[in-house]
Parts: sequence; C-alpha cells; structure tokens
Amino acid sequence: MRIACLLVSNLPLAAELRAHPELRSAPLAIVSGPGSRAEILAVSPEAARSGVRPFTTVVHGRAACAELRIRVASPALDRAARDALLDAALSASPRAEAAPPSSGLYAAEAAVYIDARGVASLFHSERGFAGALIARAENLGLPAVTAVASSRGVAHIAARKCAGAPGATEVLSPGGDAAFLAPLPIGLLNPEDELAEALTRFGIHRVRDLTRIPERALVTRLGGGVRKLLALARGEESDPPIPAPSQARFEESVDLEAPVSHLEPFLFVLRGMISRLVTRLESRALACGNLDLDLDLEGGQRDARRIGVAYPTLDPLVLVRLVALSLESHPPPAPVESASLATAGSPLRGDQLDFFRPAGPAPAVLSRTLAELEALCGPGRIGAPVVSDSHRPDAYAMAAFAPSSSSGSLARDGDAALSHGSLAVRALRPPVPAQVHAPLGRPEWIRSALANGEVIHGAGPWRTTGGWWSREERFAFDHFDVQTSDGMVVRLRLDLVTGCWQIDAVYD
Amino acid sequence: MSARPPSPAIQALLRDLGSNLHRGASPSAPLQRFPTGLPGIDRLLGGGFPRGRLSEIAGSACCGRTSLALALLARTTAAGEVVALVDGTDAFDPPSAAAAGADLSRVLWVRTPEVSDALRSSEHLLAARGFALVLLDLAAGRPARIPSSAWSRLQRTAAGTDTALVVLGDRRLADGFADLAIEMSGAEPRFQGTPALLEGLDGKVRLVRNRMGPHDCAVAVRWQSARAA
Repeated sequence: MRIACLLVSNLPLAAELRAHPELRSAPLAIVSGPGSRAEILAVSPEAARSGVRPFTTVVHGRAACAELRIRVASPALDRAARDALLDAALSASPRAEAAPPSSGLYAAEAAVYIDARGVASLFHSERGFAGALIARAENLGLPAVTAVASSRGVAHIAARKCAGAPGATEVLSPGGDAAFLAPLPIGLLNPEDELAEALTRFGIHRVRDLTRIPERALVTRLGGGVRKLLALARGEESDPPIPAPSQARFEESVDLEAPVSHLEPFLFVLRGMISRLVTRLESRALACGNLDLDLDLEGGQRDARRIGVAYPTLDPLVLVRLVALSLESHPPPAPVESASLATAGSPLRGDQLDFFRPAGPAPAVLSRTLAELEALCGPGRIGAPVVSDSHRPDAYAMAAFAPSSSSGSLARDGDAALSHGSLAVRALRPPVPAQVHAPLGRPEWIRSALANGEVIHGAGPWRTTGGWWSREERFAFDHFDVQTSDGMVVRLRLDLVTGCWQIDAVYD
Repeated sequence: MSARPPSPAIQALLRDLGSNLHRGASPSAPLQRFPTGLPGIDRLLGGGFPRGRLSEIAGSACCGRTSLALALLARTTAAGEVVALVDGTDAFDPPSAAAAGADLSRVLWVRTPEVSDALRSSEHLLAARGFALVLLDLAAGRPARIPSSAWSRLQRTAAGTDTALVVLGDRRLADGFADLAIEMSGAEPRFQGTPALLEGLDGKVRLVRNRMGPHDCAVAVRWQSARAA
C-alpha cells in the first residue's frame, strides 16, 4: 500500500490567513479568546521574528511587538480549512480521508491521508504527485507539506519531519520505512505524556532504541499502550484501506468579531466566503448549485434560507448577487453573529457543438443569465415548457432549460411553407369566473370580466374528466368554444364538480 | 493619410441612433431574417422578422397575434435556434406551441410577475447573445405606461446582437422605436359543420411600419383550430 499524507502544521494560522489574505505579511497572533490575558495559540513567522512566542499571553505578545495583530481563533474557519485540505486531496485522488485530530504537541496540525496507489502513471512519479498535492493546497490558500510512505503512520511522521519548510515533500521508497524511522526522535511518534516520560526515564530517545527491545519486555514494563507506539515505529499498517468519500458537501463558515447589522459590510464578508467556496468547487471540477445560507443572529435567533441557483455556476459575481438579492428582499431580523454558506457540488455541464446547428448561448453566459433571471422572477418561474401527460386542461410543467445542440432534424428555408397557421390560445391563469345563462345546457349569454354578451356561435361540449380516484385531484369539465357579441372568442368551461362556469382560455 | 477620429458630437449621435446606423456595413449585405413559415406574411415582411431589430406585433384580443407569434417561435426552433419567451402576462399555452410545431426544449419560458421585470429580463436575454429570438409578450396585460427610455435601451441592446426582438401587445407599445410593426385586425371565427365546430379564424395582417423597406400593405391570413385539424 502507498499512502500520502498532506499536512498543514499550523492550522489556526493557516485558516485565518486563508480567510484574511491581507494579513499575510503582518505580524499576527491567533489567541484563545478575547481580552489581554488570552493565550497565544499560534504566531506568524513575522511575529515570531519579533519575539512573540506561542503559549504566552496577549500582554507578552504586545510587549514584544507593538504592531502585533490579534485574531481570536475561529472554530468555523478551522473547520472550513480542514474541509478545504480534504478537497485538495480529493482533487488529485478519488480516495482520501481526514486524519483524526492530533493531541499534545501536534494539536494545531491538520492532516489528510490519500491513497497513492497507481498515481505515478498520472503524475509521472510519486514525487510529482506529492508536488501536485502541495500546489492544489496552495491554490486553496493552505501552506502544506506532503510525504508518501507505505502506511498512514509513517507518512504522517515523515510529513511532520518536514513541517518546518512549507512546500517540502518526502517520498520514502517501498520497504524503506523502518530505515527512515530508525534515527528519528521518539517525540515525532507523539506518545502519550506518561508513556513519553517513562521512555525518557528508560533512556529511549530514538525510534531504533524502541524497536530493538522485545515487545513482550516493553509491554511488561510499560503496559499495553506501548503496542500501538511500537506498531507505528515498525511502520505497520493496521487500519483498513482508505474509503472513497460519500456525497460531497461544501461549507464555508465565519464567526464575526462583532455582530453586523448592515447589508454592505456583511456582503463584504460573504464575498470572501463565496470566493473560497468557488475555489474549492473548482478544484473538484464541480459547480455551485443551490446555496444554503445559515445565519446565527444576536439574541440566539437563527435565519436559515435556501437560495436557488437556476444553472450550476462558478461565477462568484452571480452568486454574490443572488445572495444579496435574497438578503435585500428578506433582511435578517437581527444583527448577524456568524454565517455559514453550504452547497452540494453539481457537475459542470459541457456543451457538444454541432456542425450544422446554430451554437446558441455560451454555457457560462447562459448559466449567469438563468441565475439572474431566477433572482429577478423568483424560483420556478423560468425553464423549458413541457406539455404534461395529463388530461387536466390547465396542466403544464417546466423543466430545467438545457437546450441540446444535437437532436432532431433541421428545417431549411422553404420547408414547411403552410397555407394556414395553427390557431393558438392564450391561457388564463387563474381562469376568469363567468355568469352564464344556459337554460338547455348550452351557453346563450355570458357576463364576465373578459367576455360579455349574447353567444353568437358556440361549439361543444367536450367533456374532460380525470383524477376520479382522489377527492383532491378529481376534475370534470364540459368545454365550449364560444363567440360572444362583443367579438371575443373564448374557451368556456363548466366545472362539473363545483357547478361553476369559467373562461380558461382566449383564442388568439 | 490617417483618418481623423469623429468629434464627440458625432460619437454621441452614433450612439443615440443605435440600430439606425451601421458603420462599415456593406450596403449590399442582406439583412438576416427569421421567417414565420406562412408565405403570405413572410412576403409582406420581406422574408421574416429581422435579426438585430425591434419588431412589433399589435392587435386586440382574438385577432391571431398569439398564433402568429407561435408560428414564428415554431419555425425558429425548427431551424435549430434557441429562443426565449418573456411572458409578461403568464398566458403562454405550451400545448398550443407544441401544436404549432415548436421544439419546446429549445424555448426558454420566462414568467415575469411584473411588466418592469419583463423588460429587464428581455435586456438580460439580449445581452446574453446566442438567443435567436426574444419574444416579449405584453398582450392583454394592461401594462402601465412604459417609459420610452426602456424601448430605446432595448432597441440599442438588440442592435448590437444577432437576436430578433419581437414585442407582442394589445396596441403598438414601442411605437417609434420599432423598426418593423404589424397590426392585426378583422378576425372572423369560422364555426362550421353539424354539430358546430370552431374551425379557425380569418384575419388580416397590415405592415404599418418598416424602416428597411416599403410598408402600408396588408395580407389575409387563416388560422386553423387544432380541434378541426
């Protein structure tokens, strides 16, 4: 088995810089909470050069560097960054899984294991694969390192070893894991505190010191917990193969430092979220479908809404506009404290052009236009009309508009020259109620908002029934085509269920 | 010798005149048109509704204006083009369009709640390019007064594209901004047979405005009902 480990060693800092790239060159400290006594969890290289150290307080940090920028650690940003790291891995291999959260000295790291079997044919070599993973993580705003080995544990340790130099790769040849591990300090295996103390007491500082001792002797003295460490030191893989991920869902979240009550500053935050979401989708060759916007509001309220996207798109401007339109039309009732934006990735649609058929609108432009039209007209009001397979007179349906460029035969000039056209009707939605005088069952006189007067000519009735198996769906109509004395030619119907007369269409 | 750039006044004039001026176009280049498939009407229009122009179909209810619009829709989709129908009155009847021969999968139906939305939707569709025909249906909608600036904008947007913009109304709405306008009138329904059957409508189509050729001529047209067919 060949496993790659994609690792970000300082996730809180990387997550913050991913959301706020303008802070990249500033001395920055990520702290545990608000206030001057909060603990510094991570520092940027610029801050470290100024003497700011992790695990001190904000007061100490400010004393060392007056220009120090302070940001409170955001679980939402960390979560999104972990997901983005997994997306970077899945953009290069179909099988990848997030490593369980580390503890102790490596609590700030985030890692992903990737199935690296057979990647050499696609990326020329395992080193090429490792380089591609780093480039894709970098594209998503995450500085990472990669290692390839024969087990998850060894790949993870190898990645930790080169964590100090973002962009570094380490590829262990098959069967070379034990030799690689032997000279490494035992601390890279991240043993439990008690076990680490005992190993130090016994003078075991390197991995080779551990593997030289018989397992039974170690277990007798240090307990059963050492077995796991020993397996790791030997490079043994006990976990099952990496599974293919289930249904993709992409989420970007942000915790705001102060509640935001105005739309414009909130849209600024949303633009960043949408931009990050689109980059992740793009890396997976997917487009953005319907958006789920979840807002935590001041006072414990919550605002959850779904924003329809008519045609999957990767245009951030269109998505920002759709979200803005939704928030403008239905503003949240209280200031926003945190926001989450999620979507299920939709496949990007390609377009197969035809030699002889007009090209039609470009897919990207069509996508944007459909999204704008849906925002303008409301959901469910644009699409391709479909003649319903029903006898119900007012039945119609709308399908997603996706004109095929290669179906059907083409008409040419001169084809189908008709001596007459087909008489069309204009539907009335809803039908117009009418008062009808029909002493012998045939309309003789009509009064309505549309047609009035004596019936000059009439034809019918044509009976239409259906849905008899359900009280709610049951319908039965007698239809008449009539011309009234005011010149209107309408389709009149008697609803046999309710006994009401209505005009449901006009011949035009 | 290098040509001097046009003065700001001339540039403004070129901008304002929009589709009425075609710089650099060969005078012999024929205007591309979308036929309706009805020989009489196509002859009247000089081949059909022109691309890149604003055309109008006006007439009162039951005069056959919708039938003419759907004939154009059917013929255009049959040629493999993609068309958009901006339905400002929610009156589009898919079975009628299918009966006229339209390929409904190539029709984008936009059901706008307001007339202003219909105008904005039409602008979006024209700007998208690639739609051969944008049919803006404002008939029977009793639209409030539409500002002339809206028609001017639509006319100019259409002028820069290969899209034919056709407006359907109870009366002439675009008026002076339309490059071509036809009025439909005098429709007489034909009820025949025993028992009586609505066989169709007989009407008249008059070309009342045509910036590209002669106008003020008329032709009779016959619409046949699907029940009679």
